[in-house]
Parts: sequence; C-alpha cells; structure tokens
Amino acid sequence: MQQAKYDIECETLLPEHEFYKESFVLLEGVIIEIISRLDFIRKYKITQNHKDPIEHCKARIESAESMKEKLRRRNMPVTVESTIMEIYDAADICVLCTFLEDIYWLVNMLKKQQDFQVIEEKDYIRNPKPNGYRSYHMILQVPLHLGDRIQKVYCALQIRTMAMDCWASLEHQLKYKKIIPDQETITGELKRCADDIASTDLNFQTIWDMIKDIQ
Amino acid sequence: MRILLAEDEKELSNALVAILKHNNYSVDAVYNGADALDYGLSENYDVIILDIMMPKINGLEVLMKLREKGIHTPILMLTAKAEIEDRIIGLDMGADDYLSKPFAMGELLARVRAMTRRKSEFTPNIIELGNINLNKENYELSNEKSSLRLSNKEFQMLEMLMNNPKRLISTEQFMERIWGYDAEAEIGVIWVYISYLRKKLESLDANVKIKAVRGVGYTLEEVR
Repeated sequence: MQQAKYDIECETLLPEHEFYKESFVLLEGVIIEIISRLDFIRKYKITQNHKDPIEHCKARIESAESMKEKLRRRNMPVTVESTIMEIYDAADICVLCTFLEDIYWLVNMLKKQQDFQVIEEKDYIRNPKPNGYRSYHMILQVPLHLGDRIQKVYCALQIRTMAMDCWASLEHQLKYKKIIPDQETITGELKRCADDIASTDLNFQTIWDMIKDIQ
Repeated sequence: MRILLAEDEKELSNALVAILKHNNYSVDAVYNGADALDYGLSENYDVIILDIMMPKINGLEVLMKLREKGIHTPILMLTAKAEIEDRIIGLDMGADDYLSKPFAMGELLARVRAMTRRKSEFTPNIIELGNINLNKENYELSNEKSSLRLSNKEFQMLEMLMNNPKRLISTEQFMERIWGYDAEAEIGVIWVYISYLRKKLESLDANVKIKAVRGVGYTLEEVR
C-alpha cells in the first residue's frame, strides 16, 4: 500500500477510548473497509491503462469532545449507542480527485458496490452552497463482518478536487476567526475565490480532455 | 413626446407641466413614488423626470425597480443641492442625467432634449440569454443555482457571442477584437477558449450552446 495516499487520523487518546469504547474499532473498521476498496479499484483501473483518479484520502474519527457536543445539540442521549445508530459522520473520509470527471466516476462506482448502501447524497458541485463551497457528499452504510455477526456502520464521504479542498480548508480556518471586520467583504471575496477555483477546475478538465483526444 | 413628471411639490409640478406643455410635450404628472412606479411601468414615456424626495416610495427606489423590470426609458433625476451621494447612486443605478434644485427652466428643457437625442438606451450590467446570465461588472457567469468566474478573455469572447446570438463570429474577429492585431498568440488559442466556455456552459446546464461552423467561426444557439 502506498502510505502517502492515505492519512487516517484517529485519536487514540484516553477520552476517545472512554467514550467510544469497543465501537472505536467499528469506526476505524468502516474507514479501513472503504479505503481499501477504493485502493483496490484504483490500482485495478491503472492496470487497465487508465489514469489514477485519486490523489489522496484523508480520514478521521470525530473527537469524543465534539461528538458529545453534537449529541447534546440534537437533544440525543450522549451515549456511544446513539452515535453508532443515529450519527452519520462519526467516521469521515475525504477523497481528493484529480479531475472533475473523476468525482462522478467515483460516485457511480460507489453506488455500484453491492454491499455498500447509499443513505444520502448531495451534489454541492452542481448546487454549490451560498458561500461557494463545492464537494460531492455521500453517506454510506457498510457491513462489517465480525466474528459472529454483521454490524452495519455509517461513514460520511466528501469527494472533491484538490482545488476545492484547498478552498474548503482555508475557509474552515477563517470561519473560526471570530472577530473579522468587514465580514461581508470577506464572505464575498471567499465566494469569488470559490467561483474562480470552480472555473479553473473546468479549465483543467478541458485541457485534460484535449490531451486525451490527441492521444 | 410623452413625459412622466414625478414631483411632490404641487406648485413646482404645476409650473413644470405648464412649461413642458408650452414646449409641445405631453405630460402626465404624479405626486408620489408609488404612482411614479405604476405609470413608469407602462412604458408609455420617452422621458421620466423623477424627484428623489417623494412620499410612499422615494425616487431612487422607483428608479431601481424600473430598471429591475427592464424598463430602459431615459430618466432625469431632480436632486437637492447637498445630495451628492444620491446623484452617484442614482447614476450608477441607471439614471441618465440629474439636475440639482433650484434649476433654470431653460436647462431642464435642454437636458430633456439631449436625453431624447441619445439613441443608445441604458444598457444593463447583466446579459441574459436562455437560462444563463453574464455579469459585465464582475465577469460572473451564472444560472439559478451556481456561478463561475470567467477570465478576462473568456468573458470578452462570451460577451461577443451573447450580444449577437445566432450571428456568426469568425475566428479572425475574435482574434482582432480581443487579442489585438499584433498579438503573438496563435489562432489555435481561440479554439482552446471556445472549449473552456463550452465546458463552463455545460457545467451550468445552459440551454445555449456554442456551435462551430467549420473553418469559419462560431455561433451561439439556443438548444431545446
């Protein structure tokens, strides 16, 4: 396995283990299950003389702290049971694709996996959020084979290009800077950057299409 | 020539009506912004004279609403001497001229004559075609759900196409108008930019399409 392609960020600190208990392994499991599926299909595609559609994957398990906060906000019991049964994004994978077409290829491929169930999907690329955010969102339910039974676990996926990821990461950082003068100007400028980046992604795709035509 | 006069000071209004009529204009006088908007929307006038300080709806709002509804009738604003900000806003919102109070009747008549001489109507900042909008101010190409920012040259090409739908524009015309005569760019660059624009229109589910006429140029056509 090419290690560099995957970042799996799972806090193995005491608070996480105390809260998630044995379910921590389930959340880790669903991430590994999906990523190894992606990795296998990616490698097989390359053997068929196709370009690698995936640049990078980032995965994480929500910290115990913010999971508790999320449950409280939704008026749900603050237990690991409600986390596993009701919360879709305790495990979260972000897949970074090279070109726009790779995103839709990946989405279709995931829909065709017979054991994965698509619970929800939102195309924020064709329908960007008002702030300009773009990504393809999916919630998958994946069966994990345990010793004596099968446990279905949810995982959230965000599929986007590297350019979209660049914007999302920066916007995320700015959002937490509470006191910003000229909030409106900043929001407007970030939206402009998002629309610029979307335009550039389409140019990259166009150039790639031209190269493919020439070959 | 028909003129709509919106002025809430009765005496001033009466005097203006008398003088305008004396100069062979047909005049309808209204005394508040709501009526000014209703009358203005009828598109029956060659010029609208609009006071800014008016009851119900102020003149700037009337102006904005008329332009939003696509009414391009030339508009002359009447402003108080101190209201420089109003003049700037008004002109930017699509007013054609202004006159600050108090003014000489001769000047009002001259400005009305000048405005009716001007052929070109107020052109909006957004070009609409099919389900697509192109904003000339910030180069934004958008549909209802999404927007993209075009580069300078992409914008200029699409502007030419959208201002002349169904008309053939040759590769040379694009080259001369946008890249200039002495540009070092190769003619093939036009095809690259057309490809960018096609991809962008497609990504916005546009119902307009750039069609190529082999060896000649391109046209923008609506598709159903």
